[in-house]
Amino acid sequence: MATSIEAAVESLREIKSKEPPMWLVPKQELSQAVRAASKHLFSSLKPHSPKSPFDQLLIEGFDAEQIWQQIDLQSQPLLYTLRREVKKFEKNPEEISKLKEAIEGGKKKKVVEEKGTDDIDDDDDDDDDLDMDDDDDYDDDEEEEEKKERGREEESEREGEEMELEGEEKGGIEDKFLKIKELQEYLEEDEAKEYGLKKNKKTKTETKKKEEDTEEEEEGEDEEEEEEEDDDNDEAEEEEDELGLFDGDDEDDEDSLENARYEDFFGTKKNKGPKEKAKSRDRFEGDSGSDDEQDFDKRKDGLSTHEEELKKLQSKIEQMEKANLDPKVWTMRGEVTAAQRQKNSALEVDLDFEHNVRPAPVITEEVTASLEDLIKTRISEGLFDDVQKSRSLSSKAPRETKELDDNKSKKGLAEVYEEEFVQKTDPAAAPLSFSDELKKEASMLFKKLCLKLDALSHFHFTPKPVVEDMSIQTNVPALAMEEIAPMAVSDAAMLAPEEVFAGKGDIKEEAELTRSERKRRRANKKRKFKAEAAKRLAKKPRETTQVDSNEGDYSICYSSLHIITLGTNQFLSQTLHTICR
Amino acid sequence: MLRRNIRLRREYLYRKSLEGKERLLYEKKRKIREALEEGKPIPTELRNEEATLRQEIDLEDDYTAIPKSHIDDEYANATERDPKILLTTSRDPSAPLVQFVKELKFVFPNAERMNRGNQVISEIIESCRAHDFTDVILVHEHRGVPDGLIISHLPFGPTAYFGLLNVVTRHDIKDKKAIGKMPEAYPHLIHDNFGTKLGERTANILKHLFPVPKPDTKRIVTFANQSDYISFRHHIYEKHGGPKSVELKEIGPRFELRLYQIKLGTMDQSEAQIEWVIRPYMNTTKKRNFIGVDQKDDKRKH
Repeated sequence: MATSIEAAVESLREIKSKEPPMWLVPKQELSQAVRAASKHLFSSLKPHSPKSPFDQLLIEGFDAEQIWQQIDLQSQPLLYTLRREVKKFEKNPEEISKLKEAIEGGKKKKVVEEKGTDDIDDDDDDDDDLDMDDDDDYDDDEEEEEKKERGREEESEREGEEMELEGEEKGGIEDKFLKIKELQEYLEEDEAKEYGLKKNKKTKTETKKKEEDTEEEEEGEDEEEEEEEDDDNDEAEEEEDELGLFDGDDEDDEDSLENARYEDFFGTKKNKGPKEKAKSRDRFEGDSGSDDEQDFDKRKDGLSTHEEELKKLQSKIEQMEKANLDPKVWTMRGEVTAAQRQKNSALEVDLDFEHNVRPAPVITEEVTASLEDLIKTRISEGLFDDVQKSRSLSSKAPRETKELDDNKSKKGLAEVYEEEFVQKTDPAAAPLSFSDELKKEASMLFKKLCLKLDALSHFHFTPKPVVEDMSIQTNVPALAMEEIAPMAVSDAAMLAPEEVFAGKGDIKEEAELTRSERKRRRANKKRKFKAEAAKRLAKKPRETTQVDSNEGDYSICYSSLHIITLGTNQFLSQTLHTICR
Repeated sequence: MLRRNIRLRREYLYRKSLEGKERLLYEKKRKIREALEEGKPIPTELRNEEATLRQEIDLEDDYTAIPKSHIDDEYANATERDPKILLTTSRDPSAPLVQFVKELKFVFPNAERMNRGNQVISEIIESCRAHDFTDVILVHEHRGVPDGLIISHLPFGPTAYFGLLNVVTRHDIKDKKAIGKMPEAYPHLIHDNFGTKLGERTANILKHLFPVPKPDTKRIVTFANQSDYISFRHHIYEKHGGPKSVELKEIGPRFELRLYQIKLGTMDQSEAQIEWVIRPYMNTTKKRNFIGVDQKDDKRKH
């Protein structure tokens, strides 16, 4: 172990002796030395990091990145614990001094380690490990040299001293019980101090925020926000410290410039301070008690948070009361005419109401195209909705237009008179004078019918006149042609005189009778009638034949026609049939 | 002339009042006719009057069978003669309106344009009646854009009030060659989607502004209805290839008509009965179509 340690020390010395630019150039022996050194450092740190998965740093055949990762794995949790310890010792410098004597070497080692790990965090260089020595045997002067190195970088000497002090006190970590208790106390004190610290840092952080990169600003802001969420304020403060450290460095250099810039843009720091504090105070309300903050507040107004809030609320309430008392805005008033509101005020308000009318159609290309399609189809089909010419309804019947014939009349005047005379006497025999064909036909038919009906009823019948027209001659014997059956049959020939009339005495007319004779006739008639009535009642079922015979009795008085006893209707229809055939 | 008009008006009103009774009679006759055709027994309420009604049915012909209303009366004699139209504007027309009216004069065949001057409407109507005009058309405007059209049929005919939208006049298209000439042949008419009774009535009013055309004219006037907005289009067509190829060329103004009132008297009769008036504040107006049937695949925005 000693020899290896020595070898490590040797290698470290070698590294240190080289100029920094040399380190940028990769050299084989240098890298080997560095690797060896780091391996030793790693193994020495191993007992203090319980979570590390490696027993020793694996170098052979590994890439720089991989080595770095291994170191990182080990050192990360270590850093965490160390930071806490450092903070703790920061609070209680007495403890540091107590522990200093007790565990000097170990502390030194730890301080150094911390510093080294910090460096590792900060640097983004390549293979070079700015490892520090971790030996108990390491000289103080070397340590100082290391510190100086760091001093060149961002950490300040002040921090180094602090760290050293704190590192010496870290012996009390192992005692869990103490830790918790101290933590409790620490928490309470820290909040108060933090606030004070915060105040100091705030001014610096403000300036920093304004001038430096946005990343840093965000960092600062994030950290402030993180502070709200963190129950453990240690880390927060640590981060604050970091920032403060940053500020500490730069403030000396750029303070004047910063002030100038800040004032130019945002006014004096002092004005901003209280506001920032108010913000932060609002955030920390939940966490801290108000009493503590009041004590540490150095604002100019002299008002506490609570009073500030109350004041705000009051102003709000006043505002709202005032608004209630004022007349309402016109949009809230209900029915408002144009006279009751400002000019053009309705244009600014976004009015929304339902339109019950469909908006006018926008005539797009599609619409026009569809219309034209419709028109084209109609044209090709020929379907138009034109006005139809309706035939005017004739209210009068068309007049019979008589055509005047200019030709000389073929008939002589005598013939005209003859026709007129014939028409008067015998309308049936008169020649037809109609021009219309239909009328002629109708009249012909009617004439035929009349002829037949006359033949039925006339005694003094004159046959139809001979109309000269072409007719078919049939080969019929002359007898048949000439024989003309009597159209009407008279019963007078058939009947005997007694059958025609049966009566005696002198037959007198009605007019010739005397009064007594008339009475006598009437009385006879009555007697007969009564007798008949009695007979009829007796013989009711035999009605039909009786009726005929009665009728027949009557007909004998007035006419000489003997009608064959059939139903009169039946007879007529039968005869008509025979005639018409 | 005045007395004649009064008498005619009174006759018209009387006939209008008789319409109710005539309609009843018509209904009864129709029922009897149906019953007879189908062989069903005649309904009991008509038994008493059946005989007389039957006689009348037998004597009826096509013309008398249909009951005529005063509406048909208005256009009864319209088909006998060609319509004669008078076109005027509101008072103090602007130059674009005058141009528009000039274009309309060429759209309607047999139309006359007249300067309005400071004539009163009743005077105009009287003089038109005296000169045997069949229709009077009045055009209104708003700052140069024509926005109103009133069509009045003359012997106490109906008056239709339209609003004009999306007016594009021939004068807007400056290029004379692009527009071309406007032929003055009697045009064919196309009516699309005038389904309801009101639609039929409107179509009738618009139809009788035009005379009977020759069957082979190349000029087409279209009134197409879409959700109560009637589009007026004026085209000339040509058939180059076979019967299927039709080329349309748009001439003449194009506008949308929106009917908002029909009155049963002429323009000067302000107390005339209103046949139909638009109800924009009725809650269901948006959903209803008054002139035509709503088409499913309409491409125009609602």
